[in-house]
Amino acid sequence: MRLFEFEAKELFRELGIPTPVGQTIKCAEEVFSIPAKSFPKTLKTQVLSGGRGKAGGIKFADNQEDAYHKAQAIFKLPIKGELPKTILVEPKVTIKKEIYLAILIDRAYRGPILMASAEGGIEIETSENIQIVPVPGANYSNFYARELAAKVGLQGLQLIKFAAIVDKLWQVWTKFDCDLAEINPLIIDGDDNFIALDGKVTLNEDSTGRHPRFAGQLVNHLSDFGDREFRGKMCGLNIVELEGNIGILCNGAGLTMATMDLVLHKGGKPSNFLDVGGGANKDHVKRALDLVSSSDDVKVLLVNILGGITACDEVAAALAYYKEIRPDAKMVVRLVGNNEDKAKAIMDKAGITMTNILEKAVEEAVSLAAKA
Amino acid sequence: MAVLINKNTNVIVQGITGTMGGTHARLMKAYGTNIVAGVTPGKGGQDFEGIPVFDTVYETTKHFRVDCSVIFVPPYFALDAALEAIEAGIPLISVITEGLPPQDAVKLHAAAKANGTLVNGPNCPGIITPGECLIGIHPGSIYKPGKIGLISRSGTLTYEIGLGLKQADIGISTAIGIGGDPIIGIDQIKSLELFQNDPETEMIILVGEIGGSAEEEAAEYIKSNVRKPVIGYVAGVTAPPGKRMGHAGAIIAGNKGTAKSKREAFEAANVKVADTPYEIIDLVKQELAILA
Repeated sequence: MRLFEFEAKELFRELGIPTPVGQTIKCAEEVFSIPAKSFPKTLKTQVLSGGRGKAGGIKFADNQEDAYHKAQAIFKLPIKGELPKTILVEPKVTIKKEIYLAILIDRAYRGPILMASAEGGIEIETSENIQIVPVPGANYSNFYARELAAKVGLQGLQLIKFAAIVDKLWQVWTKFDCDLAEINPLIIDGDDNFIALDGKVTLNEDSTGRHPRFAGQLVNHLSDFGDREFRGKMCGLNIVELEGNIGILCNGAGLTMATMDLVLHKGGKPSNFLDVGGGANKDHVKRALDLVSSSDDVKVLLVNILGGITACDEVAAALAYYKEIRPDAKMVVRLVGNNEDKAKAIMDKAGITMTNILEKAVEEAVSLAAKA
Repeated sequence: MAVLINKNTNVIVQGITGTMGGTHARLMKAYGTNIVAGVTPGKGGQDFEGIPVFDTVYETTKHFRVDCSVIFVPPYFALDAALEAIEAGIPLISVITEGLPPQDAVKLHAAAKANGTLVNGPNCPGIITPGECLIGIHPGSIYKPGKIGLISRSGTLTYEIGLGLKQADIGISTAIGIGGDPIIGIDQIKSLELFQNDPETEMIILVGEIGGSAEEEAAEYIKSNVRKPVIGYVAGVTAPPGKRMGHAGAIIAGNKGTAKSKREAFEAANVKVADTPYEIIDLVKQELAILA
């Protein structure tokens, strides 16, 4: 779950990382409550998508009137389709040096890494001067931060101050179970203070359940999600949208991907990834069927269930119900494993044909979709 | 012989009185696994369908030789349960639990490494040596004993292949479901090493999927260390970049971790790669004919 910049900065300040002293506004008129003497200011659109600076989402304002017009423009400016609900207004700062700093888990190291670059404020993917210090077993100590500071060329008091910021960012990263805690740029201002000018925090979605302060927050933090993906998130269904016309409903991530690949292999196009998970009951499968078929692009439903802990008859009951409410829907069903016989009886009664051969089911789905 | 587990393996179940733990303890026992004890804090002294329940893992080791612990506790308690098993000196731990916070996974694997403990998972179906021992949630009836080693990041896809093999009358030595998380214990390389050294395994099936670089690293390992035939498969050709495909580890980051890159790595290591799950069975048959 990606947080907005102003939320990330709240977490930073809570653990002692200095940020510019800003305020958020929800409408352009609010700029008139900002003391006139405190200008100039920076106005920053609060969206979850990247690249907002280039897209015109960050503007400087010399006075209230200027800020009012610029805030109006920013509120109307979508960034990658996302309109801001909030603008962060901050004082302008003098920048002597910009640094990139991040903490994240790296799969190759099987643990967290500290990452920094002496060139802050840039797209980090394109930087060639990234320095990495792994923290084995997440057993952090300040010397890792000093090592990183030395690697990016900091010396003297700056090295010590930078390491102190890393300490605090480490606390943010661990305390809130972050996937990513990033300061880009971390600036050194005219008075040699380290300040987090921007902040990016992604909370790990498997971990938010143990942080009550983030309960119910996910709905406000979804961007770049298709319609079915958004609704799937809200009802605990794992769906990924594609552009094809064969709706996919399977159990198990690997089998779902393999089924989609098989559709492509046979000349068809999958409309989605949907894994109903292990041990899904009738109601859960019903919701999944509704979700997959809610896109007009879906011409055929391909259901592939290999019942281990999932009982085939539970799935069959949901399919029978679906057939009743959507008698014209085209469905190809492959059910095999746990309670397969009971499922067969339910399916026969509902007038749905099923097979236990995957290849056959996929071929039929592709052929039906081609005719639709 | 097989690898990791066999008919002599003594197993305990952590979380045996929970819904998942109870259901699968029953299924494992019915399959023939030696479930010697269960652990649920606060329920020590009770009995779960003939299996004695203890409060702590340490107590079970005073009564039995424990070779393996299977963990079925909820995600936020799984690290603690695994650390308890590691501390008690159990050599093999299988964490079935899905949704373990990554920061907990880091700590778990660091502790395992420091103590020389083998960890299977997390977020995995467990391990099965057909006809001898099942730990985890594999449907036992889907596999037939034989000489193929099976390594997979996915659960149901593993069952699909096990079933296909059985229908072709081909059996497996051991199936290792290594798990779908980004950070796992027994990985593809460790599994390959075990099967290469197992005299009863003739051939290896390696089922990968998008995300990370484990398949590429496994391919490098195969080039210099594996002398047995390896059949590969990679799921996720149709997966779009940047989207998590169910498993926490199944995500293409930037242009890294694609099915194409993994397939090419396999092919460069002389691994025959199947396009579909059932083509794996055909390739196995071809290799068996060559071996015969």
